[in-house]
Amino acid sequence: MKKLDVRGAKCPIPIIKAKKEIDLMAPGELLEVLSTDPGSVPDFQGWVKVNKKAALNSQRTEKDETGREIYVHLLERLS
Amino acid sequence: MLEPQTNTELRVPELLSMIDSGEALLLLDVRNEDEHRTWPLEGRRPVKTIHVPYFEFIEAAETSLAKVPAHPGPIAVLCAKGGSSELVAALLRETGRPAQSVAGGMVAYGEYLSPVRVPLDKADVSGLEIWQINRRGKGCLSYVIRAGGEAIVIDPSRQVDFYRDWVRGLGARIVGVLDTHIHADHVSGASALARQTGAPYFVPAAGPPRPQATSLPEVPVLRPDVLATPGHTPESVCYLIAGRYLFTGDTLFSEGIGRPDLGGNLREWGRELYRSLHQRLLGIPEQTLVLPAHYAGPSAIQADGTVTGRLRTLRQSVPELQLAGEDEFIRALAAQMRPAPRHYEDIVKVNLGVAEASEAQVCEWELGRNQCAVARVAA
Repeated sequence: MKKLDVRGAKCPIPIIKAKKEIDLMAPGELLEVLSTDPGSVPDFQGWVKVNKKAALNSQRTEKDETGREIYVHLLERLS
Repeated sequence: MLEPQTNTELRVPELLSMIDSGEALLLLDVRNEDEHRTWPLEGRRPVKTIHVPYFEFIEAAETSLAKVPAHPGPIAVLCAKGGSSELVAALLRETGRPAQSVAGGMVAYGEYLSPVRVPLDKADVSGLEIWQINRRGKGCLSYVIRAGGEAIVIDPSRQVDFYRDWVRGLGARIVGVLDTHIHADHVSGASALARQTGAPYFVPAAGPPRPQATSLPEVPVLRPDVLATPGHTPESVCYLIAGRYLFTGDTLFSEGIGRPDLGGNLREWGRELYRSLHQRLLGIPEQTLVLPAHYAGPSAIQADGTVTGRLRTLRQSVPELQLAGEDEFIRALAAQMRPAPRHYEDIVKVNLGVAEASEAQVCEWELGRNQCAVARVAA
């Protein structure tokens, strides 16, 4: 599984970088995106509706080593 | 070549004054659907607004650009923090459209403080100067009251430098900082402002206020009468200054009343609120000017820019004050309750001084308009 760490970045960076990664991936490959922006949660949900190549398999929150809230988005490259 | 910053960015105060004066502006909101729906940017006049999320511009720039209608005036692009709006405004400018990004986005809108001078009563010879500091994005109101070279601040937001500089600009120094209650919707700047200026801080404790043990301002004309008005919260008070100006906190607004349900005990706090409104505030002369801590929307802003009301008028106009009897009052309120403000328990802890939070965290907690008033169910 690929990882994309965009902690500390504000929108539109997480979506722009995720799009670049997805474009380079093979169908069925997974991409885990780590973000600190709570707005990324609805943004990824909205983005996969207009992006035909990516599916959003799951979203979860966890804390990183500094105690920051991290929003983790699991994306899958579609065919 | 890069365009000068002023052409590509629009600051919140300028944006609001354009909307207030009815300029032919097109507001393009590029936030996600949920944010767009739940927290609109509002001025004193309606503004033509369209919504196309920024990620649609990333995915399909041409289709998205075509969704922005032809418009005679400037286009203001708005997002949450000002990043995505920059991207979209640049795309629009590439196609020759006069687009500017709203600097700092909704966060800047939520932080912006706009001071408005409150006209004094004609018969008032107190020599006071009252400034209503309107935090327009949140609908929060705080106050600077000056008498000569001294001033007090009531219910300040956490942008403490603003108050310090504003009072300094008036040629005065802060001699007291007061909260009307422990706020649940925003982090109070009162204790920090008091610390920074060395002025005493007064916040009511739960139960009856204890003026003798407090740090009320010493200056006689700025020393308020403290009226215990429990209900919105048990410790809520109103401050009466110069016998004419009543700072009501979240007890009474110019168009409504504070919600008494945040403690999870609507019946008990609601009865307290009913008595505070009908017994405590009823004994005050009816020409008293009510200066509240919140308002629900721009329609509450009067022609002179202030959000106030005479007690006499509010007794007839505020719907909840027309409900006769505690039981009917409680019944009506119970039917109107809505979810508590986001993160209100965290915010209360910070305001009580029992927890700390980072600037980024507080910024996130405070997003959105205040929800301290009893809501009205649309008829």
